[in-house]
Amino acid sequence: MAYGIKLKVSGERACFTRPEMKVERVSYDVMTPSAARGILEAIHWKPSIRWVIDRIHVLKRIKFQSLRRNEVGSKASARNIKTAMNRESLEGLHLLVDENRQQRASTILVDVAYIIEAHFELTAKAGAEDNEGKHLDIFNRRAARGQCFHQPCLGTREFPARFELIEPDANLPPAIEESRDLGFMLWDIDHEGDRSSLFFRAKLENGILAVPAPTSPEIRR
Amino acid sequence: MSMMDALVRAYDRLAKRGEVPSFGYSSEKISFIISLKEDGTPASVIDWRDTSGKKPVLRPMMVPQAVKRTVGIAPNFLWDKTSYVLGVTAGEGKRLAEEHAAFIDRHLEALATTTDAGLLALRRFLETWKPENFEALGWPEDMKDQNVVFTLESERREGINIHDRAAAKASWARISAKGDKTGAICLVSGERAPIARLHPAIKGVWGAQSSGASLVSFNLDAFTSYGHKQGENAPVSEHAAFAYTTVLNKFLAKGSANRLQIGDASVVFWADGTQAETAEGIFAALFGDAAADMDGVDETSEARKVGAVLDAIRQGKRLADFDPGLAQGVRFYVLGLAPNAARLSVRFWLEDDFGVLVDRYQDFQRDMNVEPKSEREPNPPIWRYLCETAVLKKSENVPPNLAGDWLRSILAGTNYPLTLLSTTLMRLRADKEMNALRAAMLKAVLVRNFPEFKNPQPGKEAPVALDPDNRNKGYLLGRLFAVYEQVQSEALRRQINATIKDKYYGAASAQPRKVFALLDSGSANHLSKLGKQRPWRRDNLEKLIAAIMDAMAPGDDPFPAYLAADQQALFGLGYYHQRSEFFKSKSNEATDAEEAA
Repeated sequence: MAYGIKLKVSGERACFTRPEMKVERVSYDVMTPSAARGILEAIHWKPSIRWVIDRIHVLKRIKFQSLRRNEVGSKASARNIKTAMNRESLEGLHLLVDENRQQRASTILVDVAYIIEAHFELTAKAGAEDNEGKHLDIFNRRAARGQCFHQPCLGTREFPARFELIEPDANLPPAIEESRDLGFMLWDIDHEGDRSSLFFRAKLENGILAVPAPTSPEIRR
Repeated sequence: MSMMDALVRAYDRLAKRGEVPSFGYSSEKISFIISLKEDGTPASVIDWRDTSGKKPVLRPMMVPQAVKRTVGIAPNFLWDKTSYVLGVTAGEGKRLAEEHAAFIDRHLEALATTTDAGLLALRRFLETWKPENFEALGWPEDMKDQNVVFTLESERREGINIHDRAAAKASWARISAKGDKTGAICLVSGERAPIARLHPAIKGVWGAQSSGASLVSFNLDAFTSYGHKQGENAPVSEHAAFAYTTVLNKFLAKGSANRLQIGDASVVFWADGTQAETAEGIFAALFGDAAADMDGVDETSEARKVGAVLDAIRQGKRLADFDPGLAQGVRFYVLGLAPNAARLSVRFWLEDDFGVLVDRYQDFQRDMNVEPKSEREPNPPIWRYLCETAVLKKSENVPPNLAGDWLRSILAGTNYPLTLLSTTLMRLRADKEMNALRAAMLKAVLVRNFPEFKNPQPGKEAPVALDPDNRNKGYLLGRLFAVYEQVQSEALRRQINATIKDKYYGAASAQPRKVFALLDSGSANHLSKLGKQRPWRRDNLEKLIAAIMDAMAPGDDPFPAYLAADQQALFGLGYYHQRSEFFKSKSNEATDAEEAA
């Protein structure tokens, strides 16, 4: 791909939560395309570009671990915050953790490393001076330097990701030798439409997950 | 394949064989059947429970699917407990009137235009029934708060209940097809279908609520996203939700051949293929209760086949070599569930060829191999090992995550959890009992988790039996400690209440430098006392001590200030090997003495 990039991402733990096991978290076996997009957007994004993930290589064996964490059961209400802003007082705007405790178990991935192959497309908001080459240069520069808007994460914010740019002509580290059918995996959330979840049939072939293009019929809508 | 996908396929397979209720029906425990005459008057009450034992046992029956009730009032269709159906209850019954009214209203509405004899009888019954009639008719007291169904007096003998009648089934199908449906893509099937708002409850997981727990639930704010409510957060079609919960309930039922309890994890397993039952039987025998093993009493060919394969596996033969059909033709699925009040968490999910799982089990067996084995239980099941990590050896005291983590590492072939090592060392320090099971666990963790033991070099392996050439610090110190204990017990014979093991095991294994000088000077006294009674025995023991100390290199800090966890494990192993050696020679001495006498 002329304007494609390859990024190596690794971390000690990862949790690409399955939507149906959201409460007692269970991770997908492999990084989801939406998580990959999140990492790329943390490094470089502007409203004029949209990242499209092409492939995800799995470099390390898939291992799980389970842990239990004490969390809370309620969210801070957006309405309360808005009224507090209007009233200009913080009264009533608190969340008592002791009354809201929930212990949730998570089954997460351990010791992960992926290579994300992606490209970007210009969107309708691209202006006159936006062109692919410019954004590609910016991304390459930032990724090579380790620059990012916020620390990229592997699924959830508590699992940070290390990233490393792979030059276009460099050799790729080998992927694991596994080939199997991963069932339906979340492709992404349809943010432009009605926020519904989009799924595709994920197949790992020799350690590489091929992600369908946004307009592909493989994505069930 | 994902977990839910595999469960739905298992449901489809079982449904073809008729072993699971079809869509819209569930298996519920029913106690009594009320028999009605055609005009709606109750004729009699039949006790449907199993009264063969001391206590009547509730029997399951296929009824229209139970509604998920938490705090609301929601009557079931054509069956329910007596507070809804009859308006009587043994307890306080604060909402009794509303519950009964809800049941009556629902049925009068649903059966308003029916012409079927059975449904008409039910309608007339509900129109004329008063809760006081319960006492007047003299119905049994233990019927209160039990589930009841209805039957027509004319059909009672054939065992056809009103909800089994064709008209009732048609009614139920019509009712369940209505309702507030939002169509979305189901994440299990990939097809557009009405989405389940609430998933049915899963009963039978140890430690969860008795009314059932949910695998998929979004009952609190913090669990929802993007403003979705309940089931919209994870779109699963009603059919898929029904399928996976029904098949899980079936597998988790009491007495099911598809479940095991290991620690706090309820393990559900099933196989897909021509020899599925054999594979399931083998898995249950390998990981489950040893008592459930085929003791040779069960003479069916299935049991014999399982027994034969089990013996071969235990001897270490690779399944692929002697039964390739079983190894590659059977796809095996294992799901570990753990409770968290009203929710279930997935501890592990594994799916692989059966041969691969058996190979991994054999790797585990090889890791755990310690000589001498325990005499009473040469092949203990996994829960027996886990009890050794528990306070007072009670299975409810097993550390919560350990069972699931260990089983996952065995089946996936990854490193064992280090909590296994730390908990065993902690129990050793606390109750100072070293036995074959604990030694096996220590050795298994050493062999798999610590790289230096994976490449055996002389003097670096974790040995199976006593290894006199092993120069590992922890191992030598463990052996030395066992010899000191032996010296003490032989010198003082029957007068010891607390040996040095009871007093010093923890300190010797964790901080040898503090303690071994003391033990050495103590042993000098014991040896001199022993020398006055049996000089040849003292010589033997002194030679043994010298041999061990010979292996220690003075420049290499043979008595370190602290031993790390893996070295402490070797200490335990060395102690066990050396002590068992003494038991062996003691029994030899006893036989020699017998022969001499």
